[in-house]
Amino acid sequence: MLTRLRRALVLLETVVASGSLLLLLLLVLTQVIARDVFETGFPLLDVISRHLVLFVIFFGAGLVTERGQHIRIDVLASLLSPQQRKILLRPLMGLSALLCAALTWYAGLFWLGEWQYAQSNERWAAVMAAVIPVGFAVLALHFLLVSLLGFETVSDPDSETAKAQAKAKST
Amino acid sequence: MTFLVVGILLLFALFGLPLFVVLGSGGIFASIGASLEPEILIIELYRLATQPNLIAIPLFTLAGMIMAAGGSPQRLVRLFDAMFGWMAGGLAVVTIISCAFFTAFSGASGVTIIALGGLLYPMLKQARYQERFSLGLLTSAGSLGLLFPPSIAILLYGIVSGVNIHDLFLAGIVPGLLLLLMLSVYSLRVAKKSQVPTHRFSFSEMLRVVRGSLWDIMLPLVIIIGIFGGYVTVTEAAALTAAYALFMETVVYKTLNLWRDIPRVLSDSAALVGSILIILGVAMGLTNLLIDSQLPMRLLALMEQHISSPLQFLLLLNLFLLVVGAMMDIFSAIVVVVPLILPLAARYQVDPVHLGIIFLANLEIGYLTPPVGINLFIASQRFAKPILTLFKAALPFLLLMLIWLLLLTYIPALTLWWQ
Repeated sequence: MLTRLRRALVLLETVVASGSLLLLLLLVLTQVIARDVFETGFPLLDVISRHLVLFVIFFGAGLVTERGQHIRIDVLASLLSPQQRKILLRPLMGLSALLCAALTWYAGLFWLGEWQYAQSNERWAAVMAAVIPVGFAVLALHFLLVSLLGFETVSDPDSETAKAQAKAKST
Repeated sequence: MTFLVVGILLLFALFGLPLFVVLGSGGIFASIGASLEPEILIIELYRLATQPNLIAIPLFTLAGMIMAAGGSPQRLVRLFDAMFGWMAGGLAVVTIISCAFFTAFSGASGVTIIALGGLLYPMLKQARYQERFSLGLLTSAGSLGLLFPPSIAILLYGIVSGVNIHDLFLAGIVPGLLLLLMLSVYSLRVAKKSQVPTHRFSFSEMLRVVRGSLWDIMLPLVIIIGIFGGYVTVTEAAALTAAYALFMETVVYKTLNLWRDIPRVLSDSAALVGSILIILGVAMGLTNLLIDSQLPMRLLALMEQHISSPLQFLLLLNLFLLVVGAMMDIFSAIVVVVPLILPLAARYQVDPVHLGIIFLANLEIGYLTPPVGINLFIASQRFAKPILTLFKAALPFLLLMLIWLLLLTYIPALTLWWQ
C-alpha cells in the first residue's frame, strides 16, 4: 500500500515537474516570437512562467527526495560507517517530514490570506500560488514515506535493487 | 533558547538533514523568536515568483542536461583534440578547455567529471601522462567554467545580490580565461618534462571534426552575441539555448529521441533545479530575518575594530570564503552567505561585481578542498580512487588557483576592465 503510494507520488512529481519545465520553455519561446516577430507581448504569460518555476522547484525537489540527493553539509555523517549512516537516515527523514509539515501549515495560512484578499481578476494567480502549500505537503509526505520505507532504490548502494541496476549498467 | 535551537539544527545538519529543511525550520524558529508570524517566510518565498531572471536557471539547466545526454562533451573533446592535440601537452589543454566549456553550461554540478572524466582519463593515460597529473587535472577541471556565461552560479549570485547579471557575465570572462591560461601553461610544462608523445596536426582531420561539431561551436556564440549585443534578455537567451540544444540533439545529430530520452532529461533537469532553488526559496526568509536583526551591522561593528582597509577586508573575506567553500556547496553558499557579506563589502567600498567574481572564485576553489569539496567526491567515485589521493593529485592545481585568486582579489581591473 505504502509502496504503491510512493510510486504514485513519484509519478505525480515526474509529470508535474517535467511538464512545468517543458511548458515554461514553450511560454518563454512564445514571448520571444511574439516580441521579435509580431512586436507584441502577453504579460499574462510572464506571470504564469514565474509561477511555473515554483512548480518545477517543489515537484523537482520531491524527485530529489526520492533519489536521496538533497544538498547537505553532512560533514559529521561522512565520518560514520555506512551501517551507522543507514541507521541515522530514517529518523532524519522523519524529522524532515515533520518540519516540512510545519512549513506546509504556515504556507497554508499564507495562501488563505492571498486567496481572501485577491481581487476577482487576480484569483487565478492565487490558485497558482497554492503550489507552495501543496509543494511542501508533497515534500512532507515524500519524506515520511522514505522514512517508513527507506531508500531501497537509490541511495543505498548495498541494496539488491542498486546492485541489479549497477549490473545492468555494466552489461 | 535560541542558541540551543541553532545548536541542535546545526548538529542535525552536520549529520545529514537536508539543508533546505535546516534553513526552513531555522526560519520558523527565528521568526517566532522575533515575535513575528512565520508566514513571512512564505511571503519571501513567494517573492521568487516576481524575479524575472530566475526563469533563466531552469532553462539553462535544461540546455546543459540535453547537451550532456546528447554527447556534446564528446564532440567537443574531439574538436579541441584536433585543434590542440598536436602540441606537447595538447591533450591536457584539450581537457582544460573542454571541461571549462562544458561546465559553463552544466553549472558545475559534477556533470563535467562524470560526462568527460570517463572519456578523458583513459585518453590521458594512453598518451602517457602521469596518473597523478591526470587525476589532478580532471578533478580540478570539473569546475573551471564557473565564471563563463551562462554559468548558473553567476545567475544565482545575480538574483540573490541584485547585481546586474549582464555585468557579472562580462566581468567573469577575463578571470576565467586567465585561469585557463595559467593551468594550460603549467600543463604544457609538465607534459614537456614528462616527454609526452604528440600526434601530427592534420588540417583535413580538423576540418572534418569542425564540420561534425559546428552546431556545438555556434551555441556559445549565439548566447554571447545575443546577450551582450542586447538582442535578447538573459531569460530569452536561456529559452533559445534550451530550444537550440533540443533541436541540435534530436534533429541535427539525432543522439536523443524526443519521446524516449527527453522525458528523462526533463525530470533530471527539474530534480537538479529543485535541489538548488528550494534552498533559495526557504533561505530568503531566514536571511531577511537575520538582516532585520542587524546581524550584518553587528559583524561590521566587530570588523571595524580590527580591519581598516579594503585590502585587509578582502584578505579576510578570502580566508572566510575558502572555509565556506570547503564546507558548503556553491549554491547554498551563495544563498546563505551573500546577503550577509554584501553590506560589509559595501562599507569597505568593494565593487559588488568585483565581490561577485571573488566570491565565485573562492567557491570554485572550494570544490577541491576537503572535507566536502564535491569534485573530490565525484572524482573519487568516477575514478575509483581514495579522496586523499585525489586531493594530493589536485594540490598543484589548487596552489595555482590560489595564486589566481590573489590576482583577482588585488587587481580589480581584471574583473572591472569594461567599466
